[in-house]
Amino acid sequence: MSSWQLLLDGFAAALTPVNLLYALIGVTLGTLVGVLPGIGPAMTVALLLPVTFTVPSTSAFIMFAGIYYGGMYGGSTTSILLNTPGESSSMITALEGNKMARRGRAAQALATAAIGSFVAGTIATALLVVAAPAVVSFAIAFGPADYFALAILAFTAVSSVLSRSVVRGLASLGLGLVIGLVGIDQQTGQARLTLGIPQLLDGIDVVIVAVGLFALGECLYVASRLRHVPPEIVPVGRAWMGRSDWRRSWAPWLRGTALGFPFGALPGGGAEIPTFLSYAAEKRLARGVAREEYGKGAIEGVAGPEAANNASAAGTLVPLLTLGLPTSATAAILLAAFQQYGLQPGPQLFEHNPALVWGMIASLFIGNAMLLVLNLPMAPLWARILRIPRPYLYAGIVVFAALGVYALNATVVDLFVLYILGLLGFAMRRFGLPVAPAVIGMILGPMAEIQLRRALAIGAGDPTVLVSSPISIVLLLLAALALLTPVLKKLTTRRHPQE
Amino acid sequence: MARRWRPELGLAVVVLVLGVLVVAGTLDVSAAASQLGLGPRFFPMLVGGAMVLIGICYVADVLRGGRADPEESEDVDADAPTDWRSVGLVSGIFLAFAALLNVLGWIIGASLLFFGLSVALGAAHKGRAALIAVVVGVVTYALFVKGLGVTLPGGPLEGVI
Repeated sequence: MSSWQLLLDGFAAALTPVNLLYALIGVTLGTLVGVLPGIGPAMTVALLLPVTFTVPSTSAFIMFAGIYYGGMYGGSTTSILLNTPGESSSMITALEGNKMARRGRAAQALATAAIGSFVAGTIATALLVVAAPAVVSFAIAFGPADYFALAILAFTAVSSVLSRSVVRGLASLGLGLVIGLVGIDQQTGQARLTLGIPQLLDGIDVVIVAVGLFALGECLYVASRLRHVPPEIVPVGRAWMGRSDWRRSWAPWLRGTALGFPFGALPGGGAEIPTFLSYAAEKRLARGVAREEYGKGAIEGVAGPEAANNASAAGTLVPLLTLGLPTSATAAILLAAFQQYGLQPGPQLFEHNPALVWGMIASLFIGNAMLLVLNLPMAPLWARILRIPRPYLYAGIVVFAALGVYALNATVVDLFVLYILGLLGFAMRRFGLPVAPAVIGMILGPMAEIQLRRALAIGAGDPTVLVSSPISIVLLLLAALALLTPVLKKLTTRRHPQE
Repeated sequence: MARRWRPELGLAVVVLVLGVLVVAGTLDVSAAASQLGLGPRFFPMLVGGAMVLIGICYVADVLRGGRADPEESEDVDADAPTDWRSVGLVSGIFLAFAALLNVLGWIIGASLLFFGLSVALGAAHKGRAALIAVVVGVVTYALFVKGLGVTLPGGPLEGVI
């Protein structure tokens, strides 16, 4: 069956009233957590995992995808209306967006962000439809050694790109890998690192790790240095934009999409780099009014990065669905969600569960349209949510964190584990360790181990089996490059000023 | 060396010690590796070894004055000194909640948790905080236990609601 036919079947699955409802819940929740400081899509999906156990898998993933896309829309509202940078992916938007808002052009900034996100999200989802089957047909030949090399590439790329300090990125990754080791070895049934605590035999649940590192860690961090002056919110009406804004926005949208999608699909690419590149590109291309306005609130500087941001979200889904390779924290949690349903993303998923995969992809188109409607006329409502007093917001986040974690196994032991992980998350934020490598290490680590052992079993213990295929050699070289580039850069820049 | 002490050194040492613990902690995992390939010890040794290496580099980096920027966030004043009193209060309230949850039940426990945290984080009106806390406790219980079938402890209010 062609992917066109499969996509139509996907639309048939996603357009049932029940699944439309799940998509609506997903995008609304996603926008909400995107707008609210302190919580993001990764944590929301993690918190929903224990509650959605009874929901059919297709509906659950339609909802999760909605949360993912919705979070991208919501984040832009916060960065435009608040004068402080929020999530790293929408930090660039704040540069021009907040200045536009201060000059009384908040409505236009929100409109170009929302419409740009829609345009980019739709084009990038279409690219996902084209790219996914191509990657699948390529990945079908991957052996265990190739998958192991792929995991190593994801580890090194995410550790070295996300932090200015490679050693801190790697420390974060290592912490995640250790957490992933706890529990019974899947192949031999041996208990590892359980410290004799029976509750740890099943391992530390990904929900506790994600909620601890993200929610509780964030709350402790906020408690430690809470801004006592409430942030200034620019008041806004309905989001709209005039003819000249359209003329100035469409090209940045398309350029942002072109940058965002491939970077999202790369390990370690994420949303930060393409949004920054898009910002820089628009700045260089700016002529006339735009050139004068750049730095004081140019619409191009919002349109481009916002499109790049959303396109990268769709790009992230390519390696996640086709290879089972997460390239961001949210993607890692989505991977854990697949595992909870007993599904393993990869070429087999497309073969055995086409209804799920294509239903989810189709729902991305639908969710994008819903998000446009939710975000254009309802911008003032989302802006009001930003005014929630912070003590109540963070107290509420902790209550929901405790609820989600307790609901897993109905034991308070999990709450104490949650607290320890919260302290770890606090320390990581305080000292500038990125959290994403830890989450990816924890979820991808056990899979890397299985592939490694499988590969070595095939090679009868001969380690050269790991570099026996051209694919694995290329991937491992890229991994080494990702690790060494920042180190070499540091060495050369350090040497030059001294001479 | 005392003046070189920085709080980040604590985290770096944790990474290093954890690496040693992983290597040491899996030594007693007797390998049932009779079948072809590797036993359950190989990968932990790899991870533990890497952690020791990373830990040493991390400690060295901190000692040489290396640092990264603390994470930025909407509600965080990155220049403020760490307010340990608030961190201690939030920690104490959370741990007390975890210890007493089974005795108090979800509604009372979660209400106290919400109230305690919002006051600790500087809620202006204590009365309003208490009211919202009770609403949060009751609504979450009703929604998740009655609506979604999640198991939460009832406590003394078991049967009343």
